[in-house]
Amino acid sequence: MRQFFPVDSLARDSRFNQITMQQSQADPRTVYLGTHDGKRPKSNRLTPARPDASDAARGLMHGIFVGEIQALEGAGRTCHDFETGNSDRVDTVPFALKLDMARQAWDEARHVEISVKLSEWMGTEIGQYAENTVLFEAACSTDPVLRLAGVNRALEGLAIDVFTTMKEFGDIAGDPYLEFCEDWMLADEVTHVKMGSDWLRRVTENDPERRKKALEFQSVVDKIFSFGGTRSDSDESPIGLARRFRELAGFTETEVSEIADVSLRALDERKAFAAAELHGDGGSSSGAS
Amino acid sequence: MADPYKPRAPFAPWDRRQLPGLFDVEETARRVGNYKWAEMKLFEALGGWVATVPELDVKMRLGTHCYHHAWHAELWHKRLPELREMNPDRLTVPANDGMVAFVAALTEPEAPELTIEKLVGVYRVFIPHFISAYTFHMNNTSEITDAPTIRTLKLALQDEFEDWRDGEMMIQSLIETPEEVDRAAAHQAQLEKLLVAAGGIAGPGSIGGQ
Amino acid sequence: MTVTVEPRSFRFVNFDPELIERVADGLVAALGIDRPLHIEVDETTPLARVRVELGDTLVVHAESGAFEDSRRPREQSEIATASSLGRVLLRARDRMQGGFGEAPADDLLTLRQVAAWETYCVGRLARLGLDVNEQRWLYNFRNRHGFTDAADTSFARIWSADGLTWGELEAISTAGETSSAPA
Repeated sequence: MRQFFPVDSLARDSRFNQITMQQSQADPRTVYLGTHDGKRPKSNRLTPARPDASDAARGLMHGIFVGEIQALEGAGRTCHDFETGNSDRVDTVPFALKLDMARQAWDEARHVEISVKLSEWMGTEIGQYAENTVLFEAACSTDPVLRLAGVNRALEGLAIDVFTTMKEFGDIAGDPYLEFCEDWMLADEVTHVKMGSDWLRRVTENDPERRKKALEFQSVVDKIFSFGGTRSDSDESPIGLARRFRELAGFTETEVSEIADVSLRALDERKAFAAAELHGDGGSSSGAS
Repeated sequence: MADPYKPRAPFAPWDRRQLPGLFDVEETARRVGNYKWAEMKLFEALGGWVATVPELDVKMRLGTHCYHHAWHAELWHKRLPELREMNPDRLTVPANDGMVAFVAALTEPEAPELTIEKLVGVYRVFIPHFISAYTFHMNNTSEITDAPTIRTLKLALQDEFEDWRDGEMMIQSLIETPEEVDRAAAHQAQLEKLLVAAGGIAGPGSIGGQ
Repeated sequence: MTVTVEPRSFRFVNFDPELIERVADGLVAALGIDRPLHIEVDETTPLARVRVELGDTLVVHAESGAFEDSRRPREQSEIATASSLGRVLLRARDRMQGGFGEAPADDLLTLRQVAAWETYCVGRLARLGLDVNEQRWLYNFRNRHGFTDAADTSFARIWSADGLTWGELEAISTAGETSSAPA
């Protein structure tokens, strides 16, 4: 087995179709959500009140499902890819960190199981939606500290946002399973974020440069995980920023605000890109504001 | 009413535990260090394989089992200082070069078509050897002086048996043709020979007989 | 009956107007639609809304997401095309054939009413042989009526029904509704 495993080798059965973030972002169709009279709706937040709520929830649940598979794979690889050591070298990790990664692998395996059951409940087939591999890509760094930043802080932080949205959705809809399951998964994600925060701090205690690089990487990944504004504080985004749960998980108010800013920038950039594509370079959009 | 001050035997009639055991503190620590090393190699392999197997049910199960063996490694890690080994890393070593060769062969398969080989290595070779080494140790160490090791062995053995069953069922569900039977048998034989050469997870004497 | 599709070539998605015509042709014949059909596909949005204008010619306005293969973004799915067109054509036929005179206009239907009517349409499409996932529509129905035995009973009745009037559909739907479900 190779020491590091490339994202394009991720093993899947024939039901799955994987796409990269680049392919996903190359879709010129837009977050422009004009109604037939050209106006934008007041909110695109994923709630049962949306006319397309059921299908949107199903699509998001499938996204959670494949995200959990990649999180499981990422945690498993971190158990394998580095020698056990005192982390003074970039290619070693402490034994206790590996134990935490193994624990995370178990948790993510359970989340895959839960997502499969919820998908069945919602009438979604495995592989029904394209799988974006960007999540595993965040777990591919050869520096374990960057993996902690990308996965345990950025990815699990996104999971907190997504699960909170789904939990609220299930609560409003009166779905007996959705809220229950999302809440259990949320509890695990808080644990994972804390693992990431603690280890990132401990492993880079004597290496401020490495810590700075990790936090920069986290910021880049946070923006990527905003998926062009799919997650932000704005009501135009289907997924909101779960400020309270993030703070429980150890994100500071400043960090949450930074993520909010990055996400809103991603949304604006996406809208500008889409407007340019729709109307030709340099054209102004009539409805997409 | 019974007299609370009447002397009672310190060992109740139904408590047949005996004092002697085969292993002194030093030998126990050596074996425990080997167990820890082996459990670590196993959980690292299982974790690494998750991304390489396309079968969804196998993928999930490997993640769960990865944690089981990591937890065993942690239990052994905690036991070592209790056996006067204040630097657990010193004894966290393979029993010999034979075990290193075994693990290298165990972890060699990576391609997505080799799920049978990956599972056979773990569930038809490595885990059965854990079961035998742990059982031998549990049955031969002092039930009184080495009770903490016995407790850990029992906890670990519970996982080993259940994981073995999970793995065997997955293997049986994957093997559908005579050719696949041969693949499984060939890989099992290759690895079993390496483990025999190593003498077992704790080297020669892993299950007695020396 | 003639079926036409616009645009004839797509920039942002890889759709085949002839495939859309072929699928629509089949549905028009199977459903006994007695007037021309014109389909306009809006490829500028990934959403999946579909609406129909009733007139001497039926005009269907479909956003590209309605015909898209969710596994392969921007590629067309024949199953999704058939399902999306089938539902909207059945609703049009229900209005045209009578018994649905009391039904509000499409943009005035409540979410519950939409879910009930969609269930009625997809159940009939399933019996026509279209590939549909019943659990998906049950989940959608539950989201609008509640996660209760009463809602499931209503779903089963509507799914297996044919020849309903609007009044009958409404009665079964409201019988399954609980107050906690979003309107």
